[in-house]
Amino acid sequence: MRFLENIIVKFGSVDRRVIFVLIGLAVLVPLLSPVDLAIRPTPSSQKVYDAVDSIPDNSNVLISFDYGPSTRPEIHPMTLGIMRHILSQDRGHKIYITCLWPDGLYMAKDALKTINEEYDLVEHEDYVLLGFRPGNEAIVKGLASDLRKVFTVDAAQNPISEIPMMEGINNLNDFQFMFTGSAGYPGTFEWVQYGADPTGVPLSSGTTSIQVNEVMPYVQSGQLKGILAGMPGAAEYEKLIETPGIAIQGMAAQSYGHLVIVLFIILGNLAYFITERRERKY
Amino acid sequence: MIWKRYIPIAIVGFFGSLTLFGWFIESEGIKAFIDDDATQWYDIIASFAIFLGALNLLKLQFLKVLKQQSGWQYSVVAIVSFFAVFVIGFFMRGAFVVDIPNADVQSTYFTQGAAEEAVNQLKDSGVTASITPAQWGAHIQTEGGLFKWMFDNIFTPLSATMFALLAFYVASASYRAFRARNFEATLLLLAGIIIMIGRVPLGSLIPSWIIMYLLVLVLGIVVNTYFKSRELVFIVVALGLLGVTALFLYLDSTTVVDIFNAFITGGVISGFEVLGSWFTGWPINQPSIFYLPALQEWIYTVPNLAGARAIMIGIGLGIIVTSLRYIFGLEKSYIGDQ
Repeated sequence: MRFLENIIVKFGSVDRRVIFVLIGLAVLVPLLSPVDLAIRPTPSSQKVYDAVDSIPDNSNVLISFDYGPSTRPEIHPMTLGIMRHILSQDRGHKIYITCLWPDGLYMAKDALKTINEEYDLVEHEDYVLLGFRPGNEAIVKGLASDLRKVFTVDAAQNPISEIPMMEGINNLNDFQFMFTGSAGYPGTFEWVQYGADPTGVPLSSGTTSIQVNEVMPYVQSGQLKGILAGMPGAAEYEKLIETPGIAIQGMAAQSYGHLVIVLFIILGNLAYFITERRERKY
Repeated sequence: MIWKRYIPIAIVGFFGSLTLFGWFIESEGIKAFIDDDATQWYDIIASFAIFLGALNLLKLQFLKVLKQQSGWQYSVVAIVSFFAVFVIGFFMRGAFVVDIPNADVQSTYFTQGAAEEAVNQLKDSGVTASITPAQWGAHIQTEGGLFKWMFDNIFTPLSATMFALLAFYVASASYRAFRARNFEATLLLLAGIIIMIGRVPLGSLIPSWIIMYLLVLVLGIVVNTYFKSRELVFIVVALGLLGVTALFLYLDSTTVVDIFNAFITGGVISGFEVLGSWFTGWPINQPSIFYLPALQEWIYTVPNLAGARAIMIGIGLGIIVTSLRYIFGLEKSYIGDQ
């Protein structure tokens, strides 16, 4: 028993580089040799799916790319999943893309490149990339009031007035659904407070795992039509639309990463209790 | 005094009141101001704030280099990177598209010289091509352009690496700091573990009966800690294990009658097969309170939601109070007062 306790205490003071190596392996190995794990959609992801599914035919859908490269692995699969879901039904939806983050523009360009390889989309007929404008919540408020004062040209500097699919689009009321892929400020909060609430347009969101706690009250109150929570949320959405992608592949890595962290927490606590008991004893 | 204090306070008070009362006054003019003009003013100020931010960043980094403060070498890298991106973004187009109309092929070059060279080579091989420089503004996002190349190959990997490092630090920090020192810390620890495991697919593979057996063992440890009686621990653990087993045998769709019938009608092998399924066919998600994905969902939607909502209401009230302080001129930190 003493021997076992000594081993646990030794594990309790292991060098942090050992932890780094184990975490690295736990993430790397499942990425190199993929493992199939069952994905179970949560109610909040199901709500997003249902909200997208219930958009009327020939709708205008606004997608906001409010994230950058750092959170791309978590949020990019969500925006891709939403775009795939919107387009796969072939129900005549048009996609309008905005960005509250400067690097969101590049994320949007990348998403469009991927989607264009799967669907034969025509710019300015099926989608328009409006681009980035600085101003955070003021941009959302401006869009709710008069979109044409915020965007006079699209991201490629084409005048809005000359883009066919912008005809009749004057503010957020002209959209039937909105989605924000959000990694922080500005993002989901601003879209709820200044975009969805004043106009009543249904809004769903995909956020990083760390943001979910703060955003959940909006989901429960119905101000947000569901939320895709971090990479598991993205994987669940990929499962729901039956298009496995990078998020489902990443779930094994995240699972094992979490498992290693939990094991180290348990070991650390066992070592702590043994040391405490010994100190009390002597 | 008037210019530096009273006029800024009066401006903030006036526009603050106008924006606030605009929600309550039925006036098209005020509504248009709040919805359109004020937000556009904000956008313009925000655009200029980017310049101010950049200047401030440069000032701080230059000072650090001049004073040779610790880590000044990093400031040199920051300054050089800043000017490189600034020059490339503002003064270099960096995207010249060579278009071959007949073949519907496009390729982008960083410089006009490289694009012209490519066109000449194509001309030598009998292919007609034209050069279209990317429009200013659109040049930063043109696929194959210099700025987009920098974003994809420098900024993106650096940014992703910084964020990915968090996983290692979170692991190391939770290993060292996440200790069950008291009741609150233990609660936090348990909730954290349930969320971490229950949120990922691995959690849905852990049946509720394993959690219940583990709880029985934990109960045994607690009883041992407080009562120091081996007999009592044995009774508690034995009863607990038997209770959990009995519960799951009850929850299993196979019944004693099925096993009896299998032995009678199908013989010994068939009987043992059904008996085996009685132990292996236990439901993994019942009772749901002990199933990790269901438990983490409950933590998210009940206790977490209550806390998050309380914080949100608190923040909301704080914003109201701070806004009123600005409107009434009580908050003057923006003009340099403490």
